[in-house]
Amino acid sequence: MGIAPTPGIPQAIPARAGLSAVRSARGPEKPNYLAAILFLLPAAILLLVFLLYPAIYTVLLSFNRGRNGVFDQWVGLDNYVRLFSDPDFINLSTFPPSGALWNNVLWIVFYTSIVIFLGLIIAVVAARVRYESVIKAVVFIPMAIAATALAVIWKFVYSPDANIGLLNAILGAFGVAPISWLGDEHIVNFALIGVGIWGSVGFATVILSAAVKSIPAEVIESARVEGANERQIFFRMILPMVSLPISVLAVTLVVNVIKLFDLIYVMTFGGPGKASRVIAFTMYQQAFQAGQYGYGSAVAVVMLVVLIPIMIYNVRRFRTGAVT
Amino acid sequence: MSRSTRSIAVIALAALVVATACSSGGNAPGTAAAGSTINVMSLWGGSEQDSFQKVLDAFKTKTGVTAKYESVRADYATTLQTRISGGNPPDVAIIPGIGFLRQFARQGSLKKIADLGIDPNSLKSNYPPGILEIGQVDGTQYAIMVKFNSKSTVWYRPDKFKTFGVQPAADWNAFTKLLADIKAKGQAPLGLGAGDSWTLTDWFESVYVRQAGPEKYDQLFSGKLAWTDASVAAAVDTMKQALKDDYVAGGVTAALGRSFTDGIGQAFSANPQAVIYYEGGFVGGIATGQTNTALKVGESIDWFDFPSINGNKGVTIGGDVIAAFTTKPGVKEFLQYMTTADAGSVWAGTGAVISPVKSVPATAYPNDLAKREAAQVANASAVRFDGSDLLPSGGGDDMGAALQDALRGKTVDWAKFETSIQAKWKAEK
Repeated sequence: MGIAPTPGIPQAIPARAGLSAVRSARGPEKPNYLAAILFLLPAAILLLVFLLYPAIYTVLLSFNRGRNGVFDQWVGLDNYVRLFSDPDFINLSTFPPSGALWNNVLWIVFYTSIVIFLGLIIAVVAARVRYESVIKAVVFIPMAIAATALAVIWKFVYSPDANIGLLNAILGAFGVAPISWLGDEHIVNFALIGVGIWGSVGFATVILSAAVKSIPAEVIESARVEGANERQIFFRMILPMVSLPISVLAVTLVVNVIKLFDLIYVMTFGGPGKASRVIAFTMYQQAFQAGQYGYGSAVAVVMLVVLIPIMIYNVRRFRTGAVT
Repeated sequence: MSRSTRSIAVIALAALVVATACSSGGNAPGTAAAGSTINVMSLWGGSEQDSFQKVLDAFKTKTGVTAKYESVRADYATTLQTRISGGNPPDVAIIPGIGFLRQFARQGSLKKIADLGIDPNSLKSNYPPGILEIGQVDGTQYAIMVKFNSKSTVWYRPDKFKTFGVQPAADWNAFTKLLADIKAKGQAPLGLGAGDSWTLTDWFESVYVRQAGPEKYDQLFSGKLAWTDASVAAAVDTMKQALKDDYVAGGVTAALGRSFTDGIGQAFSANPQAVIYYEGGFVGGIATGQTNTALKVGESIDWFDFPSINGNKGVTIGGDVIAAFTTKPGVKEFLQYMTTADAGSVWAGTGAVISPVKSVPATAYPNDLAKREAAQVANASAVRFDGSDLLPSGGGDDMGAALQDALRGKTVDWAKFETSIQAKWKAEK
């Protein structure tokens, strides 16, 4: 109960119970299939046209050369073979590995963990100070900025010229030479991840803050009375009690990372060279810039395949979360 | 019934159009197409859109045909392709690059210029050599170039040059010496915004057309010469003689994170860190209009020819071509109008672009910078179109990425690049 993301589920059970109660009161009745179909039809048509059909089209296209988005030549698994032997997509022969897929791994590891870490810290700490709402508002402001605008702002912040870029101006004040945040292949991904974190911490804070607040005060109080110190309360009480919201948050963030496109497009266009490309950007680039829709579709299918287990986990977790 | 009457009307109208075109040269006001409306799609916005609107207005006054302008700012090629695939193309559109021109032409979406009732041979005298050919696919005229800019202009600060006691350089050796001289005075000479990788493809093309010559240039950018050819690596090496940490203000790595416009700012802002910036003729308009309105042409901003290499002075240009997707009444008139000095003069009068039409008088250009730019191209021994725009779609981005790699000291695998570009050429056919 009380966990924000699952309000609908507990109510579903009494609703169904109510229906069967009505049914048994009226006695056995032939189920009205026509009505059921009519009610389901609008949603089914929408799903079919806008979700299922494009998905199947994309999968089929990925086995095709797909010039200009039409089926012109069946190539079997060629696109996939090409994709996984393309060092710009994934290159495991160097250390550290490189390529678009690897960059997504970097994003998942650093972006997800740091966003959750900072979000939790801010949620817990802000709850103990008087200006909690002010702090939360400030942290949340980036959420109100469109990702594209966020990217443009940070492009300025990261400018390699100290008279334009805020970061390099600060470094300059300490006598440090300017750093090319977006022009150095070893830095660029982390610079971009930094922007992503800045933009998402507010979201994490709000979700986790609500979760922390929902922990009954008596539970914490009684732990204190029993002699638990603050550290124990955090690690043994708060953390386990917000583990479900954290996992929901983690899944949301991971899905965001796999879909990530706008920041890269605006800030670096995948550069320098191809150092900051991610899979969604690669898909866009191959399909819409280079006109290789078949190859681009193969990238899209890889994205889908990566996302499916996460979605399954997510749905399962929702169910178990609703039960316990 | 209504359908058949309409098609009869169309045929009648078309016959009338041909008749009037024959009798009056197609330029008389109130042609048979008068009153019709065509839609024209392009990716121009802002001041470019304003300029184009002037051309469209002049066209309407002249012919009575309304050309409705539709601006698509983002993902232009995708939008255009989607509309073509969906059977709803615009009547006329500017084509986003020559790779797309070939693609649209070969898939049969474009109307041939001849199919519109315009004899391509009759246009020849309107253009300097090499210009009409840019709009040809497999020898057939599909498109017409309407505006362009030189990409062989090296922008500099005359005031700073005076202070340092240096002169613009005519050839490459003098150019590298110029860079060294400026550096010796304690000033980083070059601005560079290589985060936008097309600035590097422009550098490469300017060097390549001079060092390897126009013939090899044609072969390389038509897929007939492999990128593994020694001339490619040699041109990159030459480029890097100028684009190195010593000469680029802030260093090469910083430049890779800097946008094209910030690169202009390095040389032409109120607080400049460099004194030279190479890019096309459009730099002048951006620098004086946006970067720093206090700039004075001839005093604090000017340009010289991209230095010759081995005596070669070929000029590279970048521009836009326009083509028809339908034969609706008014389309022919529109394309024909775009080839006239009238339309060319309206474009030229904006001061930002050069008209390829030969008969546009020098007086049509409102300022000296544009006048000289037009003269540079008109007098060039060889004019070549921006090579990265000639590559199959996606090739230009790959080329830019490869050059970014080259600049940051990575060895570029040109064999791999060649394989991928050949695959793209093959896919086009």
